[in-house]
Parts: sequence; C-alpha cells; structure tokens
Amino acid sequence: MTTSDHLAIKQPRCEAFAWKWMRYSAFLLIPLVWIHAIIQDLITGGHNLSLEYVHMRWAIFGWRVYDIFLLAFAFSHGVNGLRQVLLDYSKSESATKTINWTMFIFWLVFASIGAAALIYGVRIP
Amino acid sequence: MHDNVNITLPGFAKYKGKGFYAFILHRISGLGTILFLTLHITTTATVFFAPQWYDVLVEIFRNPIIMIAEIILAFFVIYHGVNGLRIAYVDLIRPDLWKKKPTSRLISAVFIVTFLLWLPAAGILGYNLLKYGFNLFGS
Repeated sequence: MTTSDHLAIKQPRCEAFAWKWMRYSAFLLIPLVWIHAIIQDLITGGHNLSLEYVHMRWAIFGWRVYDIFLLAFAFSHGVNGLRQVLLDYSKSESATKTINWTMFIFWLVFASIGAAALIYGVRIP
Repeated sequence: MHDNVNITLPGFAKYKGKGFYAFILHRISGLGTILFLTLHITTTATVFFAPQWYDVLVEIFRNPIIMIAEIILAFFVIYHGVNGLRIAYVDLIRPDLWKKKPTSRLISAVFIVTFLLWLPAAGILGYNLLKYGFNLFGS
C-alpha cells in the first residue's frame, strides 16, 4: 500500500495511524537498524558472538536502551507490515478480525520475550 | 495518480513494470526480515531464559548455509530500507512525485543505491564465510 490517497477510502482511524506508523518508524529504523547491523555483523561478526559477549555488551546501560528501541520499533513495524500484507488477502470481516488478533498476540508474545531478556539480562550459568 | 496503479481488491495495489518488482521485492524482503527478526529475538532471549543454550545456538548459526542466507538477508534489509525511505519520503513529503516518470526514476535510483550499499557488506560477509564457514586462509 504505497498510495497516499487510498486513505480517502473509508478506513477506520486506527488503520490511518498504522499506515503513518510504518512511515514514521521507517525514518527512525534506518539509523537504528543499520548502526546495529554494521556493529554486530560487519565489525564484531558472528564468529565473535558468545554469551560472554552479550553479557559485556549489556553491562553498558546505553546499549540496553538502544536494544529496547530497536525491539520496540523494528518488531512492531515488522508485525504490522505482515498484518497489512495478510489483510490484502482477507475477503471478509471475520478474516480481518482473525488476522488482527493473531498478529496482536504474535507481537505481544515475542516482544515480551525479548523485553524480559533485555530487562533481566544475561544469566551466567 | 492512477496512471501507474490499478486498485483490484480493496487496498491491494497491482502495479505494472518496474513498480511491480519494487513492490513485490519490498514484500518479500519484509517477510524475510520479520521471519529472521522473530528467530533473532527468540535466540537472543535465551541469554536470560536458557543461557546454556545460547552458545549452542550461535554455533548452529555458524553453518555456511546460514552465512549465505545472511548475505541475502543483508540485501533484503538494505533494499527494504532504501525503498522504504523512498515510499515514506514520497508519501509524507512529496506526494506530487506519485506519477509514472518520477516513480520510475526513483525506483532505478533505489536499485542502484541498494546495490552500492550491499557490495561492501557482501564483501565483508563473504570474506567471513570463506574464512570461518569454509576455513580458508588458514586459521
């Protein structure tokens, strides 16, 4: 959905908000995701990843705040995007409702798992 | 406005030509990224929920097949970002650009920028693949 005037077609107000959310979060996600990917994938690299590394990284409070932002914006953008794709194939009111609830629960479960790990941190066995 | 967009199902835009590839690639890259992101959140969360599993999972991700998938993922994320920036910019700031010619030009620019940004990333990830995935260059 890349046209701006389809908003003129009767849509619930929350859908207009979701539509705008995708675009505003996009501007924020460009620096957030790319800095994250450059540091973790290109500078650190997967071969240097370990429990000890995550422990060290999250000892710095700023990185935890950074990761909270990343989780909040990237995951909601992603799940809402998936929801919008699925809704394109929805042909009934009830299908739309099912998609919306499934996506909300999906978002809630995984966002909570990620947030819990970020808040409580690494448990060194 | 409607010269390059056909509305078929409500909300489902059917594009033609270059616009179609930009649209479909945006969806495929988005779906690939959310799949990865869900996996990434879950595996990273084991540092708290099951710390003894974390290093085991990281070891599995050092598989060359997954390292190749990572290079494709890098392309997806870069494309999704550059093309998404185009969509957000035109929708929110320059809606007058939603016409056939400027759209076509912008999409070409998106593909070029994506490729230029992906090349160095693919170079570094490809080097890591050869070095750590296939144990080349000695160690």
